[in-house]
Amino acid sequence: MTRVVVLGRDAALWLAAGVIQKALQASGITVTAVEMASALGPADACTTLPPLEALHNQLRVDEAVLIRTTRGGFTLGQNFADASGATPAFLHAYGSAGTAIDGKDFFAYWLKARRFGLPAGLEDFSLTAAAARHGRLMLPDDESEIYGRCDYGYHLPAQAYVRSLRALAIYHGVTVHAAEGADAILDPETGAITALQLDGGRIEGDLFIDATGPRGELIAALGVRRESWRAYFPADRMLAAAGPRLAAIPVYAEVRASETGWTGLFPTQAQTHVTHAYASALTSDEEAFRAATAAGGIALTGAGVRASDPGRRALAWERNCIAIGEAACAFDPVHGVDLHAIQLGLVHLLACFPASRNFAAERAEYNRVIHSAFERIRDFQSAHYVLNRYGRSPFWTRALQAQVSPDLAHRIATFAARGDVAPMEDESFSPDSWRALLIGHGLIPDSYLPTADRTPPEQMKAQFQRMLGFVKQQVLKQPTHDAYLAELDG
Amino acid sequence: MQQDGSTPPLRVVIVGGGTAGWMCAAGLSRLLAPADYAITLVESDEIGTVGVGEATLPHIKTFNDMLGIDEAQFMRDTQGSFKLGIEFVGWDRPGSRYIHPFGTFGEPWAGVDFQHHWTRATLAGRDVGSLQAYSYAVAACRAGGFEFPNEDLKSIRSTYAYAYHFDAGLYANFLRSWSTARGIERIEGQVVHVVRDPGSGHVAALTLKSGARVEGDLFVDCSGFRSLLVGGTMGVAWHDWSEWLPCDRALAVPCERVEPLTPYTRATAQTGGWTWRIPLQHRTGNGHVFSSRFCSEEQARDTLLGALDAPALAEPRLLRFQAGRRARAWEGNCVAIGLAGGFLEPLESTSIFLIQAAVTDLANLMPVRGGGVDPRLAAEFNRLFEIHYDRTRDFIVLHYTANRRVGEPLWDHVRGMALPDSLAHKIALFEASAAAPDYKLGLFSRDSWLAVFEGQGVLPRGYNRLADRIPLAETEAKLGDLRARIATNAAEMSPHAGFIATYCARASAA
Repeated sequence: MTRVVVLGRDAALWLAAGVIQKALQASGITVTAVEMASALGPADACTTLPPLEALHNQLRVDEAVLIRTTRGGFTLGQNFADASGATPAFLHAYGSAGTAIDGKDFFAYWLKARRFGLPAGLEDFSLTAAAARHGRLMLPDDESEIYGRCDYGYHLPAQAYVRSLRALAIYHGVTVHAAEGADAILDPETGAITALQLDGGRIEGDLFIDATGPRGELIAALGVRRESWRAYFPADRMLAAAGPRLAAIPVYAEVRASETGWTGLFPTQAQTHVTHAYASALTSDEEAFRAATAAGGIALTGAGVRASDPGRRALAWERNCIAIGEAACAFDPVHGVDLHAIQLGLVHLLACFPASRNFAAERAEYNRVIHSAFERIRDFQSAHYVLNRYGRSPFWTRALQAQVSPDLAHRIATFAARGDVAPMEDESFSPDSWRALLIGHGLIPDSYLPTADRTPPEQMKAQFQRMLGFVKQQVLKQPTHDAYLAELDG
Repeated sequence: MQQDGSTPPLRVVIVGGGTAGWMCAAGLSRLLAPADYAITLVESDEIGTVGVGEATLPHIKTFNDMLGIDEAQFMRDTQGSFKLGIEFVGWDRPGSRYIHPFGTFGEPWAGVDFQHHWTRATLAGRDVGSLQAYSYAVAACRAGGFEFPNEDLKSIRSTYAYAYHFDAGLYANFLRSWSTARGIERIEGQVVHVVRDPGSGHVAALTLKSGARVEGDLFVDCSGFRSLLVGGTMGVAWHDWSEWLPCDRALAVPCERVEPLTPYTRATAQTGGWTWRIPLQHRTGNGHVFSSRFCSEEQARDTLLGALDAPALAEPRLLRFQAGRRARAWEGNCVAIGLAGGFLEPLESTSIFLIQAAVTDLANLMPVRGGGVDPRLAAEFNRLFEIHYDRTRDFIVLHYTANRRVGEPLWDHVRGMALPDSLAHKIALFEASAAAPDYKLGLFSRDSWLAVFEGQGVLPRGYNRLADRIPLAETEAKLGDLRARIATNAAEMSPHAGFIATYCARASAA
């Protein structure tokens, strides 16, 4: 298994080709990328979750160069707001909230204190959330690392990001062919792909990666059916547009719910990327554009619309073809998980990379883990809809009535009962993320861990004061987003 | 306190006073606020406990530390010794031996787990020895030494954990004293009748032989194999696992202590099952787990007594059991902990860990004062219970199925039997790629799986190709350095018996 052929476009193509080439060139593996026309427009942005930094490190991405050349920005999380102001906003910050008390998890104490009238919200105890609210980054030091986790992601203009990934892949030794399309040539006996037939010739390989996007052109050619997740998500259409750069660039994304759906604002140095997710049966593209303009409060240009059709392939890896990114699974756009899903696919592929031609066990393991990891992400996203309090418009009513998986129902139930985030394997989102999401949507648990009552109340109160003081002091030490970006520009 | 102080404390009644009952009483009394929970334990001196010489896993130290127990005192009181792993003799084939250590094999290099580097070098024909040579805990066992793990995490002497061997009856007594000194009410008596609430079906009270009535809000069933409340009263079904674990009897017998005092448990495969050997300060606990389908009681008795390394101190005692678990451990207001919830033979010393995990989960998911049983939390308890038992089962079944004891009916049977899908996949994956199970919930860790895979002849034919990023000669050199570092350091360890003598010797045993 030495020849890997990746067919596809954009971030999935170049991340797959670059990461595999870089990781496995010492094993004598060569990667050929067959590049199809980009599906991106100038208004598209990539939003990333904290783990991507590790994948970037494997590719030797220099963060400062990346931000400088793409004109991107940093993000400490997502602020979920109600355009009408009726429902309080909450921040899903990429960091932990609070620090252990008496050797036990902070969260139970927060629930307890809340009952006794503590006014401070969960996010007031999060360095990351507090920094975000103040327009500052959160650069960890020894003290803050003892306090808790502080992570971050990026907002990157998609076309510029893909250009840099492409250059990196080529730098690492990926061979590139351009193609309008490609036909899979199958072995008549095994049904495995032996080569891709392009207009200009034929590219043979041992393993084929389908990074073609939602259509999954190779994996579909192998007859792998798609399972729709339509029933979980109310939006089936997404508008992307761009507005001017904001005067002070926020260090988080804003997701603003309005009657027709939600508007996402992803600020970068180049511009402000704006999306609007909506249901085509309820809202026309023109109405969506007006809603996005109103919610964003800025003039928008370069609008384009595309379908949002969450769902996955029954198998991400069939025969000798592995679907990566949207070819394997398309997610709802709300949490910006697309790059994370690509990363999960690649990390597990490297862990399960075939040792020989007889790779049934590795394939089974890959499919098992990816199947479960994708469901965990879907459930996190699904919770955002089924728990919403954004009024009774047809869109948000649909969201309330959307399907709930048994795992998510159990998670919501244990949280509602005790504030317990039921631990599960293959989880991408930390308990802190789940708590931010569930508490943010107003799901206040009926009880808290009884073990928290062993701690003397005075000890708890003193710790709370210390934490709030520490967060304030740390945040004021941090650079503003604008100042930090200016420094990167040197 | 979650409700106003006017509601009475929640009444928790623990039924049964063996290891499970007293671990539960001690754990709950330490984890929960005394003002909110009134904890009672009902036990009968007429009912014997199963407790024999008991071997544990390192997690028990967390439990004891949580209770604030002084380790040396506890070891003195329970005739305890240290345990760094389990030696398996004859499981692959007669005469083969390996140790499942409480420690790691090597260390990850270039972000790739150790066994991939070892597999790569082995498949390339380099003479890099057995995986066993890369565990400091294995070397310590072989040297018969013991010392506390080094706190410097960069030291090879930090790469292990330890557990104990002790007399389980003495441990239960120890926890009984500890608990009753801290406000747990102990009621002596035998349960003769269970009173149920006609509406909810919940257990309302127990009637004792004396006529006394013990009321409660939550009942913890630690009644052992009888499963008085969960199996009996609530009628929760039993999942029988004897198709994978055919052993259903054990004979137990203590014998005199011998030197040297080994810092590990030994499990030796026998024609009709396996024998255990657990070294305590004052004696050695022994037993023979066997399958009545393949071995008579007389044969087992002969094998057991023939394998003793010192004179027996009593007549062998017979225990009967069946591997399996309840469909649910928590039903209504009854929670089964210990043997009342499930049984797995003591091959990997899991029974006390399974009790400990259940006690921790119960403390977290417990009804609050003034609140009733919450089915949402019972469901979570049951989910975790299933994960714990099912994953432990797969690991234990691996020891049986991966054998080359050809021609012995029991071993031929377990080698050929259909495995749980979850286990068949784990074995196939390891053989193909050297990837070992690495789950977050439940026992056992990747290193444990590696020890048993390699020790029982399940060998990989491939490895994670990311290991190729290190030049092979460099990998070989690093492997050599690591082996040398382990051997040198282990040789400097103090002997286990000497360590015990100074640290925690029983006065009468000295």
